[in-house]
Parts: sequence; structure tokens; C-alpha cells
Amino acid sequence: MRPRPPRPPALVQPRTALAFTAAVAALAAAPFVLRLSPYTHNLVTLTFLMVSGALAWNWMGGYVGQVSFGHAAMFGLGGFVAARLMLLEPPSPAPLAWLVGGLAAGVFALGAHPTLRLRGPYFSIATIGLGEAARLVFTYWENFTGGSSVLSLPIDVDAKIRLYWWGLGLMAIVIAASFVIRRSTLGLQLLAIKADVDAAGDAGVNATFYQDLVFVLSGAVVGITGGLYASYFSFIEPNDMFGFDRSIGFVLMSVIGGVGTIFGPVLGAIVFVLLRQFLLASYPQLYLGLYGLLLIFIILFEPLGLSGLAIRVARRFGRGHRAAAKASIA
Amino acid sequence: MTPRITSIRRSLFLVLAAIAASVAPPAHAADQLRIGATLPLTGSEARIGGFFKEGYDLAFEEANGKGGLTVAGKKLPVQLILQDDTSTQATAVSLADRLVNSDHVDFLLGTYASHLVEAQSTVAEQNRVPYVNGGGGATKIYKRKYKYLFGLLSPVELLGTTLMEWADEQQKAGKLPRPAKIALVWENTAHGKDFRTGVHEFAQKSGGGYQVVVDESFELNGKDFGALLGKVKAANVDLFLVDAHLPDYITMHRQYVASGMCNKVVSYGARGAEHDAVKALGQENVNYILSGVWWSPQLASKNPQSKRFVEAFQKRYGGRTPEWFQALAYESARVLFAAIEKAGSTDREAVRKALAEAKMDSLLPGGQIEFKAEHGQQVQNPFVLQQNEPDGTAPIIFPHDVASAAGVAVNPRCAK
Amino acid sequence: MARLVDLILSSVLLAGLYATMAYGLGLIYGVLRVVNLAHGGVIMAGAYLGWVLHKAFGLDPYLSIPVVIAVTFGLGVVMYRLLVRHLPRGAAGGPASLLLLFGVWLVLRNAAYLLFSGNDQSVRTTYSTRAVPILGSYVSVNRLAVLAIALVTSVLLHLLLKRTYLGRAIRAVAQNPDSCTLVGVDVERIYTITFGIGSALAGLAGVLSATIFSFNPAFGSGELLKSFVVVVLGGLGSVFGVGVAALILAVVEVFAILILPSYLTAAVGFVLLVLVLVARPGGLFGQRVLG
Repeated sequence: MRPRPPRPPALVQPRTALAFTAAVAALAAAPFVLRLSPYTHNLVTLTFLMVSGALAWNWMGGYVGQVSFGHAAMFGLGGFVAARLMLLEPPSPAPLAWLVGGLAAGVFALGAHPTLRLRGPYFSIATIGLGEAARLVFTYWENFTGGSSVLSLPIDVDAKIRLYWWGLGLMAIVIAASFVIRRSTLGLQLLAIKADVDAAGDAGVNATFYQDLVFVLSGAVVGITGGLYASYFSFIEPNDMFGFDRSIGFVLMSVIGGVGTIFGPVLGAIVFVLLRQFLLASYPQLYLGLYGLLLIFIILFEPLGLSGLAIRVARRFGRGHRAAAKASIA
Repeated sequence: MTPRITSIRRSLFLVLAAIAASVAPPAHAADQLRIGATLPLTGSEARIGGFFKEGYDLAFEEANGKGGLTVAGKKLPVQLILQDDTSTQATAVSLADRLVNSDHVDFLLGTYASHLVEAQSTVAEQNRVPYVNGGGGATKIYKRKYKYLFGLLSPVELLGTTLMEWADEQQKAGKLPRPAKIALVWENTAHGKDFRTGVHEFAQKSGGGYQVVVDESFELNGKDFGALLGKVKAANVDLFLVDAHLPDYITMHRQYVASGMCNKVVSYGARGAEHDAVKALGQENVNYILSGVWWSPQLASKNPQSKRFVEAFQKRYGGRTPEWFQALAYESARVLFAAIEKAGSTDREAVRKALAEAKMDSLLPGGQIEFKAEHGQQVQNPFVLQQNEPDGTAPIIFPHDVASAAGVAVNPRCAK
Repeated sequence: MARLVDLILSSVLLAGLYATMAYGLGLIYGVLRVVNLAHGGVIMAGAYLGWVLHKAFGLDPYLSIPVVIAVTFGLGVVMYRLLVRHLPRGAAGGPASLLLLFGVWLVLRNAAYLLFSGNDQSVRTTYSTRAVPILGSYVSVNRLAVLAIALVTSVLLHLLLKRTYLGRAIRAVAQNPDSCTLVGVDVERIYTITFGIGSALAGLAGVLSATIFSFNPAFGSGELLKSFVVVVLGGLGSVFGVGVAALILAVVEVFAILILPSYLTAAVGFVLLVLVLVARPGGLFGQRVLG
């Protein structure tokens, strides 16, 4: 009798799923248990949003290996579409507005399809061009964005508080999705594309389709994040949403944390938000340079970013063998 | 990812959250009034941010020099908690949030530039903190009818209208052709759009007296206005009206002069007479530029509040003469203080009410201010028009009740 | 007709500036295959250097060019030996080089903020606002000087690359660094020198820009992007190609105002960039850039 072929490893270990659910539940309960100040509550909300955005960016930058310097275009588009919907008479409910914003951003990403043929720095440069062009067009298109001025949404303090849980939900979904993409066949295909797109094509991977898919998903999620961001601030401004600094922010978060991993963008986003808040208040004149130095050190010494550092430390203490193996570099 | 990594990640998250939560806010001294503000102390508007700071500092020193504000019989010193918003909206908003929710300030004073004020006022309104500003003039900010927002800068539309009124006088006196052609160039912000509206509306109501033949916007902090100026040059206009902030004014006017342009009437909106501009451009190149300002030190001869302010400023800052930036900042703080004293309490609602119902004497043109609800609590005081003279002065030429010189109608360099 | 002359003159003058900006970027990429995202930062450094020399010593910006070039050359050498040298070569270095040099740019920006504050600065000389009549139109003296210097630079650069030993070594390394090692060319030294020259060219562009525009520490990002457009358009083959590409970009931008609102003419360059990258990746004159 032929031995049964081994079952492929489960997508998710039950223990992982349990730990993840527990963590999410803990975070959801945190505001009630810990009695956070409104300032901290808001800060954590913002962190959830940035984590979602960073992870979504990472699908392109880390999994596929196409470093985009223009994600602000989708962030801004999602934000403004959502804001416009929420300003209609009668206003759209926020979750719907966010989703439509994400959809619009996804469509935009689809439109950027031709640039996916480019590799490496050329793709990056093209995204810079796209991002800047989008910024100029949207700041000019004042009927849509209100010009260089702010688009104000009605103030709703309770809604802002509830954004904590919306943000948490978004982040949980995005983390789960990152995990699933990574572990599934899709993840393998993306890895192949990242390593050598032509060889991947020879091996039967439809590079074009998958890159489009990931780009659209990445853009859509970043767009949804933009919508929540708009609700969070009750105002959005085109130069901030579409700006180059915003695009760079996505890149920084993933690189600082560790591009290509899941832990990485999460950690990177947290560090980015906290560092930014701290520096802006205490040393506003230094935060640019600090990010620059961080980037330089990471590129030169620890390409896996802070998560790579964490793994090395864990390994030093003898606990991270499996961790090092599993947290693939790619 | 292994469960270990997952739990490492999660516990890290929780730890960080806990740390953030435990960051204790500083203790609030009940015997001092804390007033928060941000200003662009670095960034593209840093020079003006510095001027605003001077105004705030003067007001706070004056108040504390008297032992503080007199609130319900007690003396309450005032403290200014000032942060640098680097002229960026997102920063202005984060810092305002922090000032209110982490530093627990009692009231907020405004920052400089309409787009920053607009963004920051949202935070103030969300948290129900009175926000008094002398830095945001765009009507859009006040159209939202926020209750906690009070603006001491008159709407920029009025600036456009005032300029046109003066031009109209010149036209009626035959010094400008009829119809007169206008090139209208404005920064792509609420401020610029207001200016544009003011000019457009006047032109439309003039029954053919004015034609706007060029109507273009430009990006804030633009670098190369070559193409734009080329278009203006080709249109051969009589009035070249621009709304710009200081850096763009300097850049654009340099390129204007360098390309040999000259128009009968030139104005950069609220810009023109600034010392910095004269230094950067050279006196001969800024001659006869008209500017509309919210306040001028020359008002000291007509308005006792202005006189008092100018004297106090000169005493404090080594004989320097203030411009409208310092005056508006000073006045914002002073008005807030007056409202607190009038309310007899530091309760935010009481002070808000006092501000909303205020009718005070002021150094602003017109002499009095009110924050009327129908205007979104933005004052509607008139502008004064100044014109740069070759001798380095910039006398007020309009309105006539405060004018000290007659305006030169057409730039003598290019009276064609 | 006068309008047409105006537009043509504007284009030519602008092209000179764009070409000077692009040379440095193109050279570094052509030889090292590194996209120098710090290019904008070095341009900014050049501008500030010229400004400081003018302010402290009253040195005319055009006369300060040799000093600026020398200092920015040194800056480039330091950047290479300290940082860029450690990057992996070739495609593997792609994102890494982008991010590393971007980090350098951030540091440069911050340094400028700390040293000079974020205020806008400009270099004002007695002739800053003077204009000369040419063909019935007025042309700013500064812009003419920039054009002249740009032309001289391109000639010198061409001569350097084609006629000197160094130039030939540079071109050889660009083509095949491994063979160069075999024949005894010190590849690392060539890389260092090239990075230095590229930075010096950026510094030159910076000090020239300072005579026309006002600038602050954030200066350079727009210039960087335009340089990309020019390099991509012109390909990596020749100095001449960069010059023509600069002219094309300038013409497109300047004439765009006839159909577009002036606000959007800046977007024209970026659209052009994306179109060229996607449609004709080899640029109009150079080699293929895919893979």
C-alpha cells in the first residue's frame, strides 16, 4: 500500500491563531481596563493605522520586492474619496466611505499597471513620478480636494474614540492577511518573482497578474487607511496626504522595522509614530536627521532592520533558533 | 512565524502601550494659568513665526508685570507654553492635541498662516478649548461656524475688495484706463482663493470697468514662476494683483523684475512693505508696490491703543518698530486675557461666552472689535492700504480717514 | 511672435539649468549603477555654500564656483568611502542604495536646518535683478550666466570623458568593472572619483540655482525629480544626450503653459518621466535600463 502523501503544513498553527486572537482581544479591552488618557488612546489609534499602512506597503516592497516611493498617492486618494463621501448630504456612514476610498485607491493602483514591468530602482523612480504628479493634480483639483487647504469634516469626538476599535480591526485583518499571503502559495510565488521575475515566469508564475493583484491590494488597504486617517483628524490636507514625506514614511516604517517580514513593519510603525511624537515635541529640529541616521545604519549593518536586531539578540540568548529560521529574509 | 515571535510581538506591543499610558501628564499648578500655542519657529514661515512670538511675549510680560490677570479678585499669573509647528499642518495638529490632552493647557492661542489655523482649530473645537488667533484670515476657516474659534484677522476677501476700491478711485480720476485689465495670481490656499474672490466680485460688479484676463494659481513655496510671469507679461495688463506669502513674494518679484516686467499697479496682497523683502529685493525694486495690511504702526498717530502698543514694543525690543504680525499676536493674547478677566473665571465655557459677547477697544483699524456669530466669529475690521515710497517709507494711502499720503496711482517707471 | 521668442528663450535658459543638474546624477548612475537620492541634498549644500561664501566674504557666487566644486567633490568622496562603498553592486544593491542615500539626504537636510534655520535664503548681488534685451525680450543676467556655465560644463565634461585617461578609465569601469581590475585599473579609486565628480556637478548646479531661486533646506527634491526625468529621457550614453533631454524637458514644461494652467506645468515633467520609463526605457539615446 502506498503511504499517504504528507499533508502540507497548516496555513496557521492553532497555537499562533490562539495567541493572535488573545492579543487582539487584549488590545480591544485595553482602553476599558487601563484607563488611558485621551492623548494616549488617540496615539494608539494612530499607531494601528500606521501599522496597517506599513504592512500593506510591505506587500509590495517586501514580498514582491518592488519598493514604492509613491504610496502616498493611494493614501491620499482613499482619504479624499472617503472624506468627500462623508461630506455629502446625507453623509455616508464612515465604514462605507472608507471602503469606497480603498476601492478608488485600488483602481488607481490598477492604472499604474504599466510601471510594474520596470524593475528595481526604475520602478521606484517611476513611483516617485506618479506620486508627485498625483499630488500636483489633486492639489490643483480643488473641487475634489479643496486645493492646498484643508478639507474639514464635522467634529465627532465619540467617533474619534471609536476609531480605536475600527483601527484595531483593520490592523488585525491586515496582519492576518499578511500572514496568510506569506504562508500561502501566493507568498511563494511572490518570493519567486522577487528573486528573479524572468525565472519565475519560466517556472509558470504569472508575474504580471500577481504583481497587479498585490499592488491593487496594497493600494486599496493604504487607501482605506487614508480614509480612517481622515476621520481621525477630522481634516485632511492634500500636501500632507499626497506628499513625498508621506510616501517616505511608509518606506521608513518598513525598512526600519525590517522589510519583508511581518514583525518588521509592525515594529517599524510603532517606532515611527512614537519617535515622531516624542521628537516633534522635544527636539523638532532633529527628527529628520535621526531618521536618516537610522536608515543609514540599518542599510549598512542590519538590513533586516530592528526585527533583525531583535532576532540576533534573541539568538544570542539561545531562544531564537527556530525564529531565525522561520523569519525568512528573502 | 512561530508562536514565540507572535507572542514576543504582542507582548512588546502591550508593553509599549503600557509605557505610553503610564507617561504621567505634568502636574497642573492651580495657581497659574497655562496657555498653549504653536508657532512656525522653523520652516518656511519662521521669520513671521518669530515676529508672532514677540507679540505673544510682550503681552504675557505685560500681564505678568501687573502680577497676572485679575480673576475674581485674585491675581493669576499667565504662562505661555509654546511649541514649534515647523509650518506643517500635521505637526500643528499633533502638537495642539498634545498641548490640550497631555499638557492640559487652559486655553489656546493661534499659530500663523490660514492653513495651519484651520487645521489646529479643529483640535480646539473637538476638545472645547477657546482658541484665539491672529494668524488665520481665510473665510473658509470661519465658515464652519465653530463655537470655540475666534479670529482677529479680517477676511482676506476684504483685502481684495479694498485694493479694488482704491484702484476704482484712480480709474474714476482717469489715471487708469477703462476697462482696465487685471492679472490675478493667487496661491492655491484658502487665503489665496479669498483674495481672488474679493477681486473677482468687485470686477464683476463694476459693470465692465475691469477685466480679469489672467487668473492663475500657484503652489505655495514655488520656485520657478518663469512660465507664469511670462503669461502675465504677454497679457499686457494694467493691474498685477498677487496673493502670496513672504517667501513666494520675494521669489516671484525677483523674477518679475529680472524679466523686465513693469505694470501700472502692482500688489502682492498683504505683502510689500516688509523689511525683509526690501532687504532681499532692493528698495528700487519694491517702489510703489501696494500692500493691504491688517494693521500698520502708522495707526499709532490715530488710535490710542496702537500708540500704547507701539511704545511698549519699542521699549521692549530696542526701538524697533512692529509690523502687523507682532500687533495681531499681541492683540490676540490681550483679548484673551481681557475676556478671562471679564468672565471672572478660568472656566472655558465662561471665557468662551465672554469672547463671543465681547465688544472691546482694539488697536485694529476701526478701533473696536466684535466676534459676530454670523461671520463665524471672525472680526470684520477694515484693511489699510500702504504704498512703498522711494524714500523707504510706506505711508497709508487708503482709507482716507487714516491715510497720511496720497497714493501714486501709476508706477512712474512704466506709465505707458 | 514676441511671445514665441519669449518662450523659446525661457526654454533654452531653463534647459541649461536642468542639464547641469542632471549631469551629476547621470554620471554616478552610469558608472556605479547607484541611484543617488542624495543628489538633491548635495545641490542644496552647494546652494548654501555659495550663499555662505557670499554672506561671509562678499564673494560673488560665480567666483565661488571653484570653491563650491572642490568642497562638494570632497563631500562626494567622503560619502562614497564612508557609506556607498559598502553597498552590494548591481541589481542587489538597488533598493538598498536608494534608501541609504535617502538617509544621507535626510541628514544633510537636518544639518542645514541646524546650521542655517529653515528660512528661505537667496543670494542677492548688484546684478541679481538686471536684465538684458535679447531679440526684443528681456533676459535675466543670471539665467544667461547659468546657460553659459552649463555649456562650458558640458564641453569640459565631454572632453574629460573622451580625451583624458581618467575619462577613459571611467567609461571602461562603467562598461565592465571586472575586466578593468584585470587590466590594472583601480576600480575603487575610479568609483570614488566618479562619485566625487558627480557630487561636484550637483554642487555646481546648487550654487547656480542659488543665484536664481530662493532656497531652504528642503530645496533639492524638485530638482532631483527633474534630474531623473532628464537622465531617463537622455539615457546614459552621452553628455550630448543629457543636453538634448534637458532641452526637451524644458521646452515641454515651458510650452505647456499654453494649454495647461501654470500650476500643473510642474506635473508635466513627472508624467513625461513615467511615460518614457514605461514606453522607451532606454531613453531616447542611451542603452537599455531594464534589468
